[in-house]
Amino acid sequence: MHCRHLKTTILATGLLAVLAAGHVLAQNVNIAHTSLKAGDMAPDFTLLDNHWNPVHLSDYRGKKNVVLAFYVLAFTEG
Amino acid sequence: MAKLEASNAIVLGISIDSPAANNAFAQKIGVTFPLLSDMNRKVLKQYGILKMENVQKEEYGWAQRTTFVVDKQGVIRQVEEEASAINPNNAVAVCTKLPKK
Repeated sequence: MHCRHLKTTILATGLLAVLAAGHVLAQNVNIAHTSLKAGDMAPDFTLLDNHWNPVHLSDYRGKKNVVLAFYVLAFTEG
Repeated sequence: MAKLEASNAIVLGISIDSPAANNAFAQKIGVTFPLLSDMNRKVLKQYGILKMENVQKEEYGWAQRTTFVVDKQGVIRQVEEEASAINPNNAVAVCTKLPKK
């Protein structure tokens, strides 16, 4: 009886592991890893800021170091 | 933020939200740095971080959470993805090591 319970536990654990692996794989499909790396030139861009004014990355060339922080969505934890 | 300013660095937040949404978000969380709007996902594609997700059987694309530290010459000094990109300490550490002038 005890042994049977153990078997069930092992089976369940195995199943969970497979499910977890599948979940990770499914997530990986969507993840977009950048091919940019340290040492590459940052591609220039022009985007509107929160006051509708255009901002170019090149505006800061020779002036400031820039931290580009890409976030998922406003008003979320992302 | 103070450490970043001291190292002569600026933060640019970027998402697919509209400028209006970003402005409301900026006011809500009290950020003073610009929040940029990549509504057409152009920069996300340029930087290779457009992440597609299926929501209610429809595909939507938004940013993979990523942080790039770019020096004054326009050269990328550090790339951080996902969980490590949430914590700004590493980006701050890199910035403080970069030349101020």
